[in-house]
Amino acid sequence: MTKNSVVATLFRFQSVFGLLAVVVAAIIFSPRKNGAILFVSADNLANVVRAVSEIGIIAVGMTFVILIGGIDLSVGAMLGLAAVGSAVLMVESDWGFLPSVLLVLVIGLVFGALQGAATAMIGIQSFIVTLAGLQIARGLARIWSDGQGVAIAYGDGPNEAPASFALLGERTFGGLVPIPVLIFAVVAVAAIVFLRVSAFSRHLYAVGGNEKAARLSGVPVVRVKVAVFAICGLLAALAGIVHAVQLNQGSPNDGIGYELDAIAAVVIGGTSLAGGRGSVAGTVAGALLLGVLNNILALNNIDSNIQLLIKGLVIVAAAALQRLRPAS
Amino acid sequence: MRSVKIPLACAAVAAVVLAGCGTTSERTGGSPSDGAAKSCKGADGKYTIGMSQANVAEPYRQRMDDDIRAAAKEVPQFDVKFADAAQDNAKQVADVENYITQQIDLLIISPNEAKPLTAVVKKAFDKGIPVIVLDRKVEGDAYTGFIGGDNVQIGSEAGKYVAEQLLPDGGNIVELKGLAGATPQAERHQGFADAIKANPKLKIIAAADGDWLREKGQSQMDALLKANPAIDVVYAHNDPMAEGAYLAAKAAGREKSIKFIGIDALPIPSGGIKAVEQGRLSATFTYPTNGKEAVAAARKLLIDCAAVPKSQVLPTRLIDKSNAAQTYARENPAG
Repeated sequence: MTKNSVVATLFRFQSVFGLLAVVVAAIIFSPRKNGAILFVSADNLANVVRAVSEIGIIAVGMTFVILIGGIDLSVGAMLGLAAVGSAVLMVESDWGFLPSVLLVLVIGLVFGALQGAATAMIGIQSFIVTLAGLQIARGLARIWSDGQGVAIAYGDGPNEAPASFALLGERTFGGLVPIPVLIFAVVAVAAIVFLRVSAFSRHLYAVGGNEKAARLSGVPVVRVKVAVFAICGLLAALAGIVHAVQLNQGSPNDGIGYELDAIAAVVIGGTSLAGGRGSVAGTVAGALLLGVLNNILALNNIDSNIQLLIKGLVIVAAAALQRLRPAS
Repeated sequence: MRSVKIPLACAAVAAVVLAGCGTTSERTGGSPSDGAAKSCKGADGKYTIGMSQANVAEPYRQRMDDDIRAAAKEVPQFDVKFADAAQDNAKQVADVENYITQQIDLLIISPNEAKPLTAVVKKAFDKGIPVIVLDRKVEGDAYTGFIGGDNVQIGSEAGKYVAEQLLPDGGNIVELKGLAGATPQAERHQGFADAIKANPKLKIIAAADGDWLREKGQSQMDALLKANPAIDVVYAHNDPMAEGAYLAAKAAGREKSIKFIGIDALPIPSGGIKAVEQGRLSATFTYPTNGKEAVAAARKLLIDCAAVPKSQVLPTRLIDKSNAAQTYARENPAG
């Protein structure tokens, strides 16, 4: 390995190294009680990964969108719509587990595909399309829920969600790995494998790298864009289902601002907002980095306003590191 | 370069999964029935208290934190930590979980919403941590004590005040409501509507949602003023909306012919007590933050090893011209 390729590797996986650095810092600065390092306790690590799983699922979808040079601002609102949808369908309409979840996922998929179509066919920037999508999804969530949080109770009776739904929010694997984390892991692995093996992946990087050149060389740009936004909407809806089951409620105000956390995870993960460069693995590391950071700041009871400053600085630092990265 | 990607990607994912697979066993909580006795170490102990706030961006909740901070200063054994959920239920769940990890001695929580916070509050309670719930309740009974106000009663006092003091001969009322779907909004409305039935010549001629916000109160009032030439009293579900309505009326030159009443009466420069003192509002009704009472309860539980009532509902007080200056000086001596 030449010196250059070592440097290139360091930059390429800056978020993984960043994650390692933050984990080491978390262990060093962790409060201790009776000699035990609180950060590394099994309960705490489970809390950390569970807390990032929703943002992580969204961020995987967001990575696809940003790889083609787009952005999706509607994911937080979509999460709220999906949370409301799950709660209303199962509790108020007494639907079963599978039909409810499937319908909610289809709503996310179709909503995303429509946004993709609007940006690809009409040629409106995805920032504008999804800004509008954000308002529309939030409005639909308010209408569907009558403007109120819909509480989820479990049981077989009327106005109770099937007990099988509750399993989605529970812990499993020796009682320690929460199901939301498993869902995140499956989504991440599937996305990584998908990007490795499918021809679609080449198209995606091509559209992000240079859309015009991609079109001229026969890449189905419109189809790629519609598919990418559909995936992003689908994953946001999945995160909304996970959100509802963890909080036993679907509220039209769920997920406000989550799109920004997801974008932050993608940026920290080293994916370029200009498109064409980045990876899902980086995003996973970026989401975990944010989660560990949130956790260690909270465990040390850092003032919530200072926490915002620190998180802002980390995002800037990650973006600045990318600028230093040599062109490959 | 692409070849390195898979192992690293897999490592990252493995980290996600493995992170949850530690070896330490779950700490088993003792009997939670008398949480007080378990963590009470008397006056010689040192206690870490975690305060989980729903959203400090609201002045009422900032004041609640400030009241807790001030009251805890008087108790040298107490060290209070603060977390802010910024109105996000999921963030507040994480905040409480982090407090559990830190093995705090007592939890004070002002929940963002009841249902989503119930499970994690129960988790803390079941681990033997005494829990004091402020302002909004959680479901079930897995907490040590609740301290809050009674919004129905506050609305009712406001209604009585309008019926007996402001408009004994009847008149037209406009109601500016809080955020639709919020429990306090429904309760403040219900109490008021029931109380003014005592005077059949009183009528609520219009109502609008002001979402608790000053600017929304102002813009809603702009429209209501145009539509209603005869308004005698504006009843707003909180002080900021009442202030906004006052500004709208002033812009229309009608502020002298309308009386404004609000709720909350925060003893801060931008709060309702000052507005009453300075003559913009006729009256406001206190909605206590209970920060001081929460610290007193913590003291009882941890230092005196005594029990606290399961539910304490603090009464509201009328603040009008006669007692505004004096109340402000007492509750906020610093200014």
